[in-house]
Amino acid sequence: MKKKHMARGTGALVLVTGLAISAIGNPAHAALSGQALVNSKCATCHEAKTDQHWTRIGESRRTPEGWDMTVARMTFAHGVKLSSEERGAVVKYLADTYGLAPDETADHRYIIERTPSVVEHPESKPIGDTCARCHSYGRIAVQRRTEDDWRKLVHFHVGQFPAIEIQAGGRDRNWFEIATGDVAKELGKVYGYDTASWKQWQAQKHADASGVWRLVGNRPGVGAYEGKATIARTGDDRYSVAMVMRYENGSEESAKGSAIVYTGHEWRATLKQGGRDIHQVFSLGANGAELNGRWFEANNDAVGGTMRAVRADKGVPASVLSVQPAMVRAGMRTTLAINGVGLNGEVNLGRGVKVIKLVEQSAERIVAEVEVAKDVASSSRDVQVGRASGAGLLKLYKQIDYVKVLPQHPMARVGGNGGSQPKVPAQLEAIAWAAGPDGKPGTADDIRLGAVPAAWSVDNLNKMAAEMQDTKFAGRIEQTGLFVPNGAGPNAERKYKTNNAGELKVTATVKDGSRMVKASAPLIVTVQRFNDPPIR
Amino acid sequence: MKNIKPLNRKAHQIETAPTEEAAEKVVAMSAAVAGCSTTFDPGWELDPFMGVAGLCQPMEADLYGCSDPCWWPAQVPDTLHNYPKWNEGRDDAARDWQSLQSVFPK
Repeated sequence: MKKKHMARGTGALVLVTGLAISAIGNPAHAALSGQALVNSKCATCHEAKTDQHWTRIGESRRTPEGWDMTVARMTFAHGVKLSSEERGAVVKYLADTYGLAPDETADHRYIIERTPSVVEHPESKPIGDTCARCHSYGRIAVQRRTEDDWRKLVHFHVGQFPAIEIQAGGRDRNWFEIATGDVAKELGKVYGYDTASWKQWQAQKHADASGVWRLVGNRPGVGAYEGKATIARTGDDRYSVAMVMRYENGSEESAKGSAIVYTGHEWRATLKQGGRDIHQVFSLGANGAELNGRWFEANNDAVGGTMRAVRADKGVPASVLSVQPAMVRAGMRTTLAINGVGLNGEVNLGRGVKVIKLVEQSAERIVAEVEVAKDVASSSRDVQVGRASGAGLLKLYKQIDYVKVLPQHPMARVGGNGGSQPKVPAQLEAIAWAAGPDGKPGTADDIRLGAVPAAWSVDNLNKMAAEMQDTKFAGRIEQTGLFVPNGAGPNAERKYKTNNAGELKVTATVKDGSRMVKASAPLIVTVQRFNDPPIR
Repeated sequence: MKNIKPLNRKAHQIETAPTEEAAEKVVAMSAAVAGCSTTFDPGWELDPFMGVAGLCQPMEADLYGCSDPCWWPAQVPDTLHNYPKWNEGRDDAARDWQSLQSVFPK
């Protein structure tokens, strides 16, 4: 029988357990001056050069999470004493003064949104080879530094983590020369400090987020939803948020919380949503007319959903946001809900889709009974209401030609079982596809129909996995596509007393009329992280 | 090899061995799941073939071989500089793993 060892608290670990709310989402630090704190807490080591420029601090730009990680490191590695409120105020000031413009994060938002199991394809090979062997590439791509500061970051790594030169990827090349030479130059070129985007963003007046918003989104495992939000200003860049979300399956959730906007667009909110603590990582875009991003459970960021919200105040331009259900089979008669703002006028779904009658009609939602002709081809349709149009929102299909499991390379992590890290599940989705006009599945004109219900099963991925009995030990899959891994720690019942890690093959079986369509993906169940910052 | 004839089985194997071009090369994946260490040695959460069979088994048997020399500091706290007390008093990771904390201060 295993003995359970109680944690023996040490000074260094008090920091870990003391604060439940992340510094990023905590609005309590409104009254503190971040600039004054930088002068009193940071300028002892980081010499002030000008009014708002200190050595190192003024030579890089980051996301709020990026600054929070740096400030946190100053506390545990260099003994800076900051209360939770002070830490939040310093991060707010630094992210506002040395942040990233919306288009500077656009391609790598997955890393701050904590989208699970994203497969990266580094845009720069030298940067990927050097940095992405330990970090995500996205972590680097959401920073901007002067070439000199990037070079200092290389020196920092050598000093702090000397094994960097003798690991694979280090010892097999003249690593130090390359990293401080060509790679630092490349970083300064690709992710340099001075950009036109940042200059322009700094000069721009930033939008106020308050108002009424119409929202739509998708929560893998549960489905599409639509709803409304009311955002009210409570201070500089601070807001209260109240939301209602109605899911396609008929369930409803309400949410309440508070938000901070960093850098004029980085929306971070903490809400109580349907009884759970939720973080929102959105960007306030289109001159303050849109909020886009991902939300996730505070203690389990693998579970969450996407959201898009547009303003729903009086007089906003009409817009079609989503249609539920988003896929209708040829020859079917069904009830269709169109979600948007300012909806007014005739509903037009293109040739072969007849609107029989309108069941409900308001500026934000139209419910119609529609009939799709038997001979309609698999296609994407624009959903038009009067002058407003939602491009390609409705998918019509003859049959589901194939299914893909998303994410393509899902990963789960063992956890719990008395350890400090919770289990990290993997939420899977079965996405249906139809062949496009060429009639051939697997070509560029194929139509992505959307997520469909599936019967889920797991098997061993390969011979080695079968030998190790991975299906027995690694975890189980629920019929919502949620894979729940087993407990952490060495398992005495396994060969080598190894962990409940494993290599599985997950299969989704989708019923399409009388046909069954199957798709599989490798599902890796791996070990926990003991260092798990907001940007991995 | 024109003028040499294999005499024993081993020599014959050399002659019939596939050429370098014909052999499948082992190449580390250039694309990986964001934030995972995958390079050889052997990788923290994924091995070079995007699996776990090539990792240390169990991970706890070599955990301090990762933390003490800063082998995977992005995933496992380094006890050299940043978290010197992380595993203090927890001498056997396979036994004491439950009391090892996640380090990023929230």
